[in-house]
Amino acid sequence: MVLLIDSINAIRDFLDTGGQVLLVIGVLIFAMWLLILERFIYFFNGFRGYKKAIKNSWLARSERNSWNAEQIRQVMISRASMRLNANLALINVMVALCPLLGLLGTVTGMIEVFDVMAITGTGSARSMASGVSKATIPTMAGMVGALSGVFASTYLQRRAKREVALLEDSMVLDH
Amino acid sequence: MKLFTQMTKMAVLAASISFTCASVAAEPMDLDSLLKNLEQGKSAQSVQNTQREQQFTARQNEQVQILKDTQAKRSQMLSESDRLETQFEENEIKLANLTDTLSKRMGSLKELFGVLQQVAGDSSNKFATSVVSAEIPGRSVFMDDLAQKMGSTSQLASIEDIEKVWYELQREMTEQGKVSRFNTQVIIEGGNKAEQEVVRVGAFNLISNGKYLEYSPSTNTLSELTRQPVSRYTSTAGDLQQAKNGIVQFALDPTGGSILGLLVQAPDTAEQVHQGGAVGYVILGVGLLALLIAIERFVSLLLVGGKIRRQLKDTVARDDNPLGRVMKVKDDYPNVAYDTLELKLSEAILREMPKITRNLTLIKIISVVAPLLGLLGTVTGMINTFQAITLFGTGDPKLMAGGISQALVTTVLGLVVAIPTVFIYTILNTRAKSLLLILQEQSAGIIAKRSEKGA
Repeated sequence: MVLLIDSINAIRDFLDTGGQVLLVIGVLIFAMWLLILERFIYFFNGFRGYKKAIKNSWLARSERNSWNAEQIRQVMISRASMRLNANLALINVMVALCPLLGLLGTVTGMIEVFDVMAITGTGSARSMASGVSKATIPTMAGMVGALSGVFASTYLQRRAKREVALLEDSMVLDH
Repeated sequence: MKLFTQMTKMAVLAASISFTCASVAAEPMDLDSLLKNLEQGKSAQSVQNTQREQQFTARQNEQVQILKDTQAKRSQMLSESDRLETQFEENEIKLANLTDTLSKRMGSLKELFGVLQQVAGDSSNKFATSVVSAEIPGRSVFMDDLAQKMGSTSQLASIEDIEKVWYELQREMTEQGKVSRFNTQVIIEGGNKAEQEVVRVGAFNLISNGKYLEYSPSTNTLSELTRQPVSRYTSTAGDLQQAKNGIVQFALDPTGGSILGLLVQAPDTAEQVHQGGAVGYVILGVGLLALLIAIERFVSLLLVGGKIRRQLKDTVARDDNPLGRVMKVKDDYPNVAYDTLELKLSEAILREMPKITRNLTLIKIISVVAPLLGLLGTVTGMINTFQAITLFGTGDPKLMAGGISQALVTTVLGLVVAIPTVFIYTILNTRAKSLLLILQEQSAGIIAKRSEKGA
């Protein structure tokens, strides 16, 4: 219990030194990783069953040669592709937004520094320190979020593309 | 006065001369009688002169007597002066001896009085700025008087004074460790005065009605801070005032109010937005436009999406949604070849496309333009700053800092508009794309499936 309160206090202190922007970045990174995890779980778990079902329904067709068959195959692949690519664009945008929010934090922090300077002059470095920490911590957090997300999102995109290609290969047309 | 009498004499003389001239002119000249007259006058004058001589000699004796008296007096005074001078010298020696004795007798006490003076001066300052003085006023006055008294050499501190210093120091120390309540006049919002219960937390903070107070030593008044800290802190102030005993959490300003004082000077969000100036308002206007378009798009895409989803389940092509209209192509041309049908389909899809993707590009443009406008504001702000430097030099960092914070605010506004707009654009774009995908790839498939079933 004490450990829990301690850790909550530590997080609160960190958020206080980083300012409100840090909180937004934290929420964004959290949501981003939730989406990424959901995608991973879907790729390794949910999609396999769906893929098998599509393949079976295609192979179960009596004729796989006509215009109709080709269109139906196209629909199947397009639906699979939609399922695979769901949320990927959103994840990409979140990765791109992380450094932007970091920049926002930097600028708001700098504004605070200059406000302090406008009131007290350049004499007291200690009173400027809170603004400086509000400028630098969100930048760092934004970078961490972007770097952690960029690998995952690239991997997910390549994986989705490969799955679609594999699916296309496995659903052969009879000639 | 003397000059005046001379003048009158001369005037009289002139008058008499003119008179004699006139009489001379009137009467015939008689030289003998004139000579006679002169002789008589001469004898009369010599009588007068002898009288004067006699008077003068009589006076001379008198003057000699006066001189003698004065000389005697002078010699007497000289001797008196000598006597006083020797006495002065003796007194000076005596005084030096006495001062020696005094410093010898005071010994270590002298050091004590020095320390006492210093302590009294220091605590006078400390008491004047301490928030404890809001509850117990008038302590610094005594300390001030004592310090001045000790500064002058003629007076010494009494034992009562020394004990009072000790008492006051001890009292300040004791009060610093206490949370105490007292009623006093507080200047509340709007400048009105009100009698309120005030809680003092040691020598650090004063709170009343869940609000932090400011103590101004010069006027000895309490006033509510016009800008209170965030609610997380003010709520602890309310808790403290309501608590009767036990331990409560309280957000303390360890500097005794100076951090809270700075809070008043820091601009709030609305003031910062106004610092952005014209460019800032343009950015906000563009952001509002993007928001309105986004809401309209969101609602219409939601409606269209719902209708398309219903159409996917339905077998009859309906006219109220894009998918239905595309599928109707098949019904309109029931007997055409497949490649002609494909062309007709893609034509119908092209017709639907602008309705779905309408205004999305505008949102994207705004998401790109907003940070650029922010940059514009930054540059104009910096130009203003440099103009200020040209006029006033770099001597005053406060002057420059104001301009720089103005410049940065527009950057913030640009980012604040751009970040959600990018988000919104992505979400709307994904929705629109998925709808188009349904039209493009699935309409043909659905038709194919249906024709297969019908066949």
